[in-house]
Amino acid sequence: MNILLKSAKIVDSDNKALHLKKRDILIKNGFIERIAANIAPEGKSKIIDIKNLHVSKGWFDSSVSFGEPGYEERETIANGLYTAAKSGFTDIVLNPNSSPVPDSSSDIVFLKNAAKKHLTGLYPLGTLTSLAGGEHLAELYDMKNAGAVGFYDYKSPIANSNLLKIALQYSQNFRGLIYSFPLDSKIAGKGVVNEGHTSTKLGLKGIPALSEELQIARDLSILEYAGGSLHIPTISTIGSVKLIAQAKKKGMDVTCSVAIHNLWFTDEVLEEFDANFKVMPPLRTKSDNRALIKGLKDGTIDFVTTDHTPVDIEEKRVEFDNASYGTVGLESAFGILNKLFDMETTIALLTRGRKRFKVPSPLLGQGALANLTLFEPDTEKMFQPTDLLSTSKNCVFVGSKVKGVVYGSIKGEKVII
Amino acid sequence: MSELSVRHLLGIKYLNEADIELIFETADNFKEVINRPIKKVPSLRDITIANIFFESSTRTKLSFELAEKRLSADVINFSASQSSVKKGETLIDTVNNILSMKVDMVVMRHPNPGAGIFLSKHVEAAIINAGDGAHEHPTQALLDSYSIREKLGDVAGKKVVIVGDILHSRVALSNIFALKLQGAQVKVCGPGTLLPKYIESLGVEVETDLRTALDWCDVANMLRIQKERLDISYFPTTREYTQQFGVNKALLDDLDKEIVIMHPGPINRGVEITSDVADSKQSIILNQVENGVAIRMAVMYLLASKIK
Repeated sequence: MNILLKSAKIVDSDNKALHLKKRDILIKNGFIERIAANIAPEGKSKIIDIKNLHVSKGWFDSSVSFGEPGYEERETIANGLYTAAKSGFTDIVLNPNSSPVPDSSSDIVFLKNAAKKHLTGLYPLGTLTSLAGGEHLAELYDMKNAGAVGFYDYKSPIANSNLLKIALQYSQNFRGLIYSFPLDSKIAGKGVVNEGHTSTKLGLKGIPALSEELQIARDLSILEYAGGSLHIPTISTIGSVKLIAQAKKKGMDVTCSVAIHNLWFTDEVLEEFDANFKVMPPLRTKSDNRALIKGLKDGTIDFVTTDHTPVDIEEKRVEFDNASYGTVGLESAFGILNKLFDMETTIALLTRGRKRFKVPSPLLGQGALANLTLFEPDTEKMFQPTDLLSTSKNCVFVGSKVKGVVYGSIKGEKVII
Repeated sequence: MSELSVRHLLGIKYLNEADIELIFETADNFKEVINRPIKKVPSLRDITIANIFFESSTRTKLSFELAEKRLSADVINFSASQSSVKKGETLIDTVNNILSMKVDMVVMRHPNPGAGIFLSKHVEAAIINAGDGAHEHPTQALLDSYSIREKLGDVAGKKVVIVGDILHSRVALSNIFALKLQGAQVKVCGPGTLLPKYIESLGVEVETDLRTALDWCDVANMLRIQKERLDISYFPTTREYTQQFGVNKALLDDLDKEIVIMHPGPINRGVEITSDVADSKQSIILNQVENGVAIRMAVMYLLASKIK
């Protein structure tokens, strides 16, 4: 089948000739056949002709959780990948946030197989340690060969410094990517929100910025000693941005990400004790927001992520202390980023990061496999519960003003709009 | 007709000055009532109140229950340890089960901050927070301010120091909000480990030397050291705590003026304050307890009038 995009404005700053030009794009057998000012439909074609249509390379998210296997009530792989595709994401890295956790090659194969028929590519992470127990290294090499793109005990800080040292040393010959969640759990104690004015006022136990920065400082020292590739997911403080910037100046092999909600909200939204705002790392302050946005713009922070974490209502509609952490974010990602940044920066952010995980990077040009996101960047609206496609509806952005609409995505011969 | 600006009493920070004044005026009337030979009034005769305590309490529960009975309300009591709640029933279900027996008002103590606020968004009844984790304990703060007013004539302009474990204390937090709202000056004093790092953002000053704090203040509110609540060691021994933050008679007598001593109870005699201080003329600890009943009657009376 042919797919013909009519009069689509191309947003691709890597391609100066086509960037911000309106073109017709013909996709034949999953490949971009022609890009031209006017292409007449030929044979049996699906014609996509939407007012103010924009097109970019397919978007990428480095931190997504679903639930299957084990937590299908939160999200299944099928509906999760559909949600991703409809929200513009054509490739995602899947967190090992399931039960059982993926700690062997057969678990990785299961995930890859479950995702096969779907538009959005699923790139799973394996756990760093068996059962994510934090003690014995899992079979990292075997999982890597099965398709794991990194190793992560999901949101469990590596308490044992020597374990991180060994993981970084062991993974070097097969170029494994090691994750370390930035939290010193002793300093964080029983904290559930950012430590600051709001936590003091609300009597909620605080997680000091210190707990994140201390762990990152430790991790960077270990990385400097041991070598290897380190990824620090979802940083949230000014101090963390500074630490990463220093490490990058030294040429260390470290990347980090930030969650969109940590750019958008501060802990002041917690006044009503709404457990939907309970996220890890916690929402912090205005100055943290600003430093994170700046870090993202200047490249200190490598990727922006939704840190999409479906949590069913039973785990959210409880006392704040007892609620689970996390928010879904795929559906609102573009609308929020497009409010925070100009459209070109937004698209640049959403297409950045595949290389780190060795996920094939798409091209928007003749002859390339189609890997495209379709959107329009101008409509302003309030993000509604009905905009959520996820099985779980825990979304911090409901009620936020967003800008732009995502129509969907195309990969090869698959179209979801 | 004067009425409260709120439907629930979830915390002092949700009240305004006029609310506090109204509660105090109403409490004045009830204080007169409870000192009569017949201490009961029919004000809440058709109101049913559930006291739901997810955390153990003796005096607060007694005080509420007495206040309810003096107002002729129908009273039911529900005590649940956290463990039974963990068996599966959610807070909303527990409370809705009780409410379906036609209950109008809930007095709740709960170990989690914000539990009352959470509940108020999901159930119909009027909620009185009788302590939610380290968040608020509004009736305690009201009775404390009321007792200061009774003793010193006014709260505005008075200097109050709160001494002890500020980090884990809902009493401290509610007192800070109440005292600031009424125009008092507030300092907190205690070991650095038990002072929240950002406490000054609430408009209070930190003083880590007890003697300096006592020299400054008109009122010292001595909080209980709740050893059972401290999950790690914030100071080496209670003996050493007492050496630095305990008040004894010699210390009081050495001050230039006579300050008022308060304590929310139960007292660890010899830890926060010595017996001779607790039993001295300067102590208004038992007045606080008596005023607690009047204040709770006032709060329930005023909230019930909003139900009708």
